[in-house]
Amino acid sequence: MRYDPPLQKTQGLWPLLLAVVALVAYPFVFEATYFRHVMILAFVFAIVATSWDFSLGFGGLFNFAHVALFAVGIYTYAILAKTLGVSPWLAILAGGFTSAFVALLISIPVLRLDGIYVILVTIAFSQLLYLIVISASSVTGGTSGMVTLPTLTINGYRLSGDGRIGYYFVGLGLLAANILFLYLVTRSRLGRATVALKDNKYYAIARGISEARTRALTLMASAVFTGLAGAFYAAYLRVASPDAFGMGFLTLLLSILLMGGAGTIWGPVIAAFGISVISEWLSGFGAWQNIVISVAIILVVVLYPGGLWAAIQEIREAVDNVRTSTLARLRRNRGRAEREALTGATERMIRTRFAEIAVADTGEADKPALLFCHGNSACKEAFYKQFRSMSDTHRVIAFDLPGHGVSGNGDPETTYNVAAYAEIAEAVLADCGVDKVAVFGWSLGGYVALELAARGNVEVTALAIAGTPPLAVVPEDFGNGYNPDSHLVLAGKQYFSRQEARDYGNSATAPISADSAFMHRNLPRTDGRARVYMMTKISIIDWPRQMRMLAEGRIPFAILNGSDDPFLNHGYIARLNYGSIWRGAPQDIMGGRHAPFFNKPDAFDLAFYAFLRDAESGSDAAFRPSRMAATA
Amino acid sequence: MSEVMLDVRDLSGGYEPVQIFQHVDLQVSAAESIGIFGPNGHGKTTLLRTLSGLIDPWQGDIFFDGERMNREGRRGSRKWRNFNYDAVTRRRMDPKKVARAGLIHVQQGNLLFPELTVTETLSIAVSAASGRRGWSVAEVQQLFPRVAERRDHKIRFLSGGERQMVSIAAGLIAAPRMLILDEPTLGLSPKIRQELCGAILEIRKTGLPIILIDQDVAFLEQIIDTLYLFDHGRISGRMSRDEMPDHETLMVMLFGERH
Amino acid sequence: MDPITLISIIKGGLILGALYALMATGLSLVWTTLGIFNFAHGAFIALGAYVAWQFSSADALGWPMLPAVLLTCAVMFLVGVILHFLLVKPFERRSDVVLIAVITTLAGSTILENGLLLIWGPRSKQIEPLTRGEVDLAGLHLTTAEILLLVLVLAILLGIGMFLRYSRPGRSMRAVSQNREAAQLLGLDVPKLYAIAFGLSALTAGLAGIFLGTIRFMHPAMGSEPLMKALVVVIFGGVARFSSPIYAAFIIGLLEAFSTYIFGVYWAPAVLFVTMIVVLLVKPEGLFGKYQRTL
Repeated sequence: MRYDPPLQKTQGLWPLLLAVVALVAYPFVFEATYFRHVMILAFVFAIVATSWDFSLGFGGLFNFAHVALFAVGIYTYAILAKTLGVSPWLAILAGGFTSAFVALLISIPVLRLDGIYVILVTIAFSQLLYLIVISASSVTGGTSGMVTLPTLTINGYRLSGDGRIGYYFVGLGLLAANILFLYLVTRSRLGRATVALKDNKYYAIARGISEARTRALTLMASAVFTGLAGAFYAAYLRVASPDAFGMGFLTLLLSILLMGGAGTIWGPVIAAFGISVISEWLSGFGAWQNIVISVAIILVVVLYPGGLWAAIQEIREAVDNVRTSTLARLRRNRGRAEREALTGATERMIRTRFAEIAVADTGEADKPALLFCHGNSACKEAFYKQFRSMSDTHRVIAFDLPGHGVSGNGDPETTYNVAAYAEIAEAVLADCGVDKVAVFGWSLGGYVALELAARGNVEVTALAIAGTPPLAVVPEDFGNGYNPDSHLVLAGKQYFSRQEARDYGNSATAPISADSAFMHRNLPRTDGRARVYMMTKISIIDWPRQMRMLAEGRIPFAILNGSDDPFLNHGYIARLNYGSIWRGAPQDIMGGRHAPFFNKPDAFDLAFYAFLRDAESGSDAAFRPSRMAATA
Repeated sequence: MSEVMLDVRDLSGGYEPVQIFQHVDLQVSAAESIGIFGPNGHGKTTLLRTLSGLIDPWQGDIFFDGERMNREGRRGSRKWRNFNYDAVTRRRMDPKKVARAGLIHVQQGNLLFPELTVTETLSIAVSAASGRRGWSVAEVQQLFPRVAERRDHKIRFLSGGERQMVSIAAGLIAAPRMLILDEPTLGLSPKIRQELCGAILEIRKTGLPIILIDQDVAFLEQIIDTLYLFDHGRISGRMSRDEMPDHETLMVMLFGERH
Repeated sequence: MDPITLISIIKGGLILGALYALMATGLSLVWTTLGIFNFAHGAFIALGAYVAWQFSSADALGWPMLPAVLLTCAVMFLVGVILHFLLVKPFERRSDVVLIAVITTLAGSTILENGLLLIWGPRSKQIEPLTRGEVDLAGLHLTTAEILLLVLVLAILLGIGMFLRYSRPGRSMRAVSQNREAAQLLGLDVPKLYAIAFGLSALTAGLAGIFLGTIRFMHPAMGSEPLMKALVVVIFGGVARFSSPIYAAFIIGLLEAFSTYIFGVYWAPAVLFVTMIVVLLVKPEGLFGKYQRTL
């Protein structure tokens, strides 16, 4: 589980700012003290829960003594501020220190243990602390606890005055500081070390990361604000009770952690507010309060382990699905004239078992058929230049992949993968009444074209690809075939910010211009799930079958890459084993970048026509094994 | 042409969310034994574990002796990614049902029950067979004399080869109508391997159909009638015993020159 | 310290040890068979006491002791099976089943204890002692109840031990605890065995609760302290063999008796916890454990 990416770049920035403004304005708008009290409690619980999440969810340490650390903070404040008369503010700071110190003590036995033993040791520790507090009754007040603890004041102004508004803002400030702290720590060396240990423990240790030190520091980091929150809590309620060590608190905080979503910062924060409200409301019901919370914990853990945060993500995904499919549906009719004018072909919708697919078809059944497959986040109009230039000699057909262009969205699990796309291509061709076709695939479309040919259900008379490194073993060849370009990362990303959409459009097709405006406008319609699922489902495609087909060389095959395509590892493509490839090697279209047919249409058309001619004539000279295959 | 005993239709599966094998079609009749040959890590063991019910198939059907082993219907689309469907849907395969139908899977490696004695292990197999006609303890002890010798020892004090024999013995007692042996000679010394092969040949001769996974082509040749090639999660070839070439040629068939 | 006091402490330790052995056995039964730690075990102890009280107390149904105890056993077994079904089974296949089980059994324990509070109220109760009477043995003062407790506990433990070793389901449970998959592949009904293990564990917890209920006052949270003790015992002794927690239990019982005498009743539990932490540091598989069960 990871924490979220840099805040400024995510789409969560606006909701966060809104929330902050709301929280700051809240006490000025609503005067009711009871709800303010609940909010203050919520701040405290949010701090404790997120700190616990840091050691449990992020750090993977099954620390069940966390609530005891909170209690340590409480008692630190009580003893220092009341018994010893220390300034309350210093006492709060001290709460953080003692908590961190106790965390260090706890971490010693935990350093070399794993799994259940950590749970047992930490539970034993918290019981131990509880026993110490109960037994040292002269200091801690034993089972009765301590009361009338000093309250917080600033220059004589009591924070509990004015409906406790002072406490409200201190609490809010603490929460904000806590979140900032956690945010920074997860991005610090400690955070990176923790992630490294979780991903591949032995490799990390081999690289010099000390597991013991990481664990100790993680526990201490989780304790700092917990102790502060405990001391603040004691200052606010003015009571220190051994109940803080008890099951009630543990269950409450565990429920906040789990229902918010372990491993995320914001989940427990949101859940803290919700659950504090509910818990306070239920406190009048005695035993039922604990029962309800416990039942809720079980339900969440069993049925929806991701908690609130995961639910929010899913809702976001559902909303985005509605957005993109509505966009597609609207544009289907409204933009049709424009699209048909662009390509010069008629557009129609066909129904496949995956989704509704939009097909552009010049229609002449007497001309040889030519199928174009577009790439990730693009649309069939990417080929509008070829539609215009080649419709005299060929019947040009192109379709929008599901989740793209004006095709509909599909069930992501079954639809958004290359095998399904190939099946859709077959359905499109069947609907056109075509059983012999030449195919050109661009980028993702190249894999679709390869898959279509490998499946062998349709007779492919010529096969050309651009911007597509053929793969054999996945995911290794993915790393080999592509350059680690930062924009390639976007290819599998679900949600694009405006900047990201622009960047991807620039690299994948062309920088924005009158020419490419349509493509850029189309990009945000793409169903983000198509990008994500294509990556996750990449292993189910029969890549070796495609490679075998290329090695056998029975279909006339050509590669027409842009010479300066930034994504491709051109060396890798050149070294593959092609049984029979046009002109003996992958061809370069100068300056074509990732979409040579778009950026250099004349040069591309020249080469493409030549290839189609040679394929048709069955010229042996034009098709040779690649140099590597020849020497094997 | 005798009846098909094990009928695997269009089976796909893996470990959520990674799919390991797809579209496997396999038919084994009661009169034949088959072998599955292929490189490690490509899904053979996962396929076997799906057949015996330890993991659920994602799609496809498994019929044994005419009876459907998996629950009907494909794995439903998991619309909400974070919902724990496993908690509310029933398992699609029950290993108990598969074993009691007679499809016995002897796993790779042979940990078995480290703290039980050989006798205890065999008696567990006896009680698991509950009423169905399997091999008797006397019969397996005749087949594997070592097992009889070491019967009061705990399994963890046995050598690798002896443990393997106990595994197979237990499998035989559990009343198999078809036996799956996953790499029975893996990591064993040549002498023990010889013994085991001989014993497995004896088992074969009793008419029990065997599904054998092994890297030793010579061994395969003795036992099986049909060989299936398996790589990258799919069955990529099939040949009868007569058509089987040597190990090197087989590897070339699987990978081409590039392996 | 004079001999009488010494023997008296030892006697107290042995009684405690017997009780702890009974409690720890149930816990270790679940741990070795299912591989999880059942935090609701303490609540089972309390539940057993309350159910027995309900059957036997003059303020409730007022039945004679023996049928009440037997019925309680049956009820507890059922409760164990049901709770296993609700709290453990739904995520058996998940890789993090241990952590999840801790959480759900903790939650289940809260639900049970609060349920007890709701049904029976917070006022302390007590079960009638099994027998009355006292015996003097060479200057040592024993109640017949204590003797009976020792004898019964040892008999029960012996019974369970023999069940595990010689009976079909017992042997099958041992097999499942050592290699679940191999057991499944032979055709053993693993879900049923899990349920039996959990039920048996609840049964022993219930019995422990009944014994506790006769010598101490009952309240809904009465199980949490015994649970901690049982935890210490299981960690201390390891679970390599069925008998490991039993030996450990007696050692811990004696340790507690002496600590209470030396440090007083408030600090004695601390000694136990420190012992447990030290053992975990030095020998995580427990004093008698042969190998560490990877959980």
